Amino acid sequence: MRPANSYTLYWMGVTFLLFPILILLGIYMRTVQAGGLAGTVTWFYPMMTLHGVGMVGVWYVAAMACAADILGRYTEPSPAVRGLALGGTLVGVLLLLACVFLGKFAGGWYFLYPLPFKGEWPAWSAVAFLLSLTVLGATWLVWTLDLLRAIAKKYTLTQALGWHYLAGRDEPAIPPSIMIITVSLIAGVAALAAGVIVLVLFYQELFTGAASDALMVKNLTFFFGHTLVNLAMYLGVAAAYEVLPQYAGRPWKANKIVAISWNTVLLIVLFAYFHHLYMDFVQPGTLQYIGQIASYASAIPAAVVTIFGALLLVYRARMRWNLASLLFFLGLIGWAVGGMGAVIDSTISANVRLHNTLWVPAHFHTYMLAGLVFLVFAYFYHCSQEAAAEPERAGRQKLVSVLMVAGAYGFFLMFYLSGAYSVPRRFATYPAELAHGGAFSAIAAVFATVFLVGFLLYLAETGSRWYKAMQTAS
Amino acid sequence: MRYLAAVLLLCVLVPFAPARAENEAADRGRILFEQKCASCHTIGGGARVGPDLQGAHQRRSEEWLLRFVTEPDRMIAEKDEIAVRLVEQFNRIVMPNLGLQASEARELLAHIKLVGGTQAAAAPPQPAAAPLPRPDLIAPQSIVLGVFLFVSAIIVLVFAWVGFSTRQPEEVNVKKAYGFRKALFATASAVVVATLVMTMPGAPYAVASLKADRIVYVAARQFDFVFSDEPITSAADLGRIPTMRHLDLPANALVEFRVTSLDVNHGFGVYGPERQLLAQTQAMPGYVNRLRVSLAQPGHYKVFCLEYCAAGHHAMQSGFDVK
Repeated sequence: MRPANSYTLYWMGVTFLLFPILILLGIYMRTVQAGGLAGTVTWFYPMMTLHGVGMVGVWYVAAMACAADILGRYTEPSPAVRGLALGGTLVGVLLLLACVFLGKFAGGWYFLYPLPFKGEWPAWSAVAFLLSLTVLGATWLVWTLDLLRAIAKKYTLTQALGWHYLAGRDEPAIPPSIMIITVSLIAGVAALAAGVIVLVLFYQELFTGAASDALMVKNLTFFFGHTLVNLAMYLGVAAAYEVLPQYAGRPWKANKIVAISWNTVLLIVLFAYFHHLYMDFVQPGTLQYIGQIASYASAIPAAVVTIFGALLLVYRARMRWNLASLLFFLGLIGWAVGGMGAVIDSTISANVRLHNTLWVPAHFHTYMLAGLVFLVFAYFYHCSQEAAAEPERAGRQKLVSVLMVAGAYGFFLMFYLSGAYSVPRRFATYPAELAHGGAFSAIAAVFATVFLVGFLLYLAETGSRWYKAMQTAS
Repeated sequence: MRYLAAVLLLCVLVPFAPARAENEAADRGRILFEQKCASCHTIGGGARVGPDLQGAHQRRSEEWLLRFVTEPDRMIAEKDEIAVRLVEQFNRIVMPNLGLQASEARELLAHIKLVGGTQAAAAPPQPAAAPLPRPDLIAPQSIVLGVFLFVSAIIVLVFAWVGFSTRQPEEVNVKKAYGFRKALFATASAVVVATLVMTMPGAPYAVASLKADRIVYVAARQFDFVFSDEPITSAADLGRIPTMRHLDLPANALVEFRVTSLDVNHGFGVYGPERQLLAQTQAMPGYVNRLRVSLAQPGHYKVFCLEYCAAGHHAMQSGFDVK
């Protein structure tokens, strides 16, 4: 039995509250696309914006909460900053809810410049949206910097990055989770800095009327968004590195190969975002090709080191399967499958056929929902169970996993098929030529509901442990 | 004598002065219509994102029209009966306040009267076209889906094999596993390099040495594509530069679309007669993307906006014929 950290439990509560609401918004969107709820179609794009920003934000903070919890075992992050992170996030969420529900703001989660200034929503709602992102961005930047400070205080950054392994030294031993978290947080600083520049450019136009260069802002926006989403995924993987060995009864240690792998990831992740701009033909050609090379290259350390390492860890191990270990394992599958969908999309000649079709949400939902979400759920369950030490019912835990997996993959398959059929993403309704998109949407809504049922069972399974853990939290 | 000539001239010209002024107003209205209204409305061409405006002045009072053109947002907020009905009728896409002055609204009205004044009935909103059946997947899309499903199946099978292996636990030979990892690294690297070499030449970027047979300028705006034989670089060009409402392209010719945007980011996605994507580029304010295509199959091609651009995004489409 190990008491849980109270802030980790608060973040779990926030996640458990917001996630089902955001799932319902997703089901609503697929229902509208299928031709249902026609009278509410004007809410489609505001809800799409809320669903997008909400999901990215929730799973970023949930992954950060896991990282902060892991770091709390080795280092001393500031309690004050932990409180600030939670408070700032809640303020940002309130502003976001206000601009969407009161102002019908619908600029999309990556609010591509200059759309926030040129939509049908009132100007104040665009300002509220920018303020929301400012509060969230500033809060998360401070949080990231504090976690890096805590790491640097214990290990020095070069040690945390495992550079001594590269030099052939094995001491001090660095937990691989620390190495991955350090890489992710450094990438996070770069992403959030890019986000800050984007916001400053928006404010500049707001106050002075000086327009910005659309291509430059697009580069900054995708650098911010792509990096943020990827690092959230890496933080989930760090949780697997930290916890999965406990269930496998084998160590998963850092070494030279792991250090090379994750330092390479740090470099590659900063250049892979160019694949978001393939269809902007004015972008210098060299950057387009760098985008494809970096995207392909990123698959090698992920597959050869991390996925291979995880498989080796589990292969013929005396595995203790429970909801945590099962979800970690399933989460790594989701990462690999979604990653494959992403690699295909990052092929320039394929991107011509796939860009901004439903293939894009197909692959990012795969690695976010069946990847990151499963990894974080695994970690959340693990923390709750460690603190609550309640008896586990294998049958129920298998049912939770089966429902979530069946719901998720059925839902993804409709996205992949729609993408292959060139059905565009972000269409509230489909024209007659693409009416088959509606049929895929209807089936997707059913599968998403199955996932939601699976999640509610997960919540019942974890929630009771979470409640008990709250009584003994440190 | 000179005074007499002047008086006579005035007598001849004065009766024509109001008509000339009206024509001038209508001409200014035509330019305004192209710049501000044609992205959603036609005059006699049928309903688009918004209603067909032919005969609008005979269906509504002038006072109502002038107010709706200048402050539609206020009228909708005040729940004006007609305004609310129009919103309902047109997929709840709300007409934005375009910042037009009363004098500009009168010029627009003069243009609408001049172009479609004689016919009272506007084309009603077109009933939604009957949904078309799902087409067969074309080869490139089929290959993409096939590769993905095949590799995903391998991933799942490998994980399943490893997962089920835990039923018979035993120690693994780590040294042997690391040897396998080396082979895996070499194989993965070779596959990556080979795929890069095979796929990169298929990139869609224009080759400067190839001369296009036909250049078409495309200006995207919320929520319309404007085709022209001349560059349109700002909204002010609309109404002054001739545009094409119908575009025919020769089969197998190398056509270069020079695509820009007059407001926000849009996507210019070319769908072939099989209703699947053949080519695309982004339409970005301040930039011109050159998309080159050679279309072999005769038929009707659709263009859909593939970058979210606000409420009318899903209705933003155009098309052309290949003959």
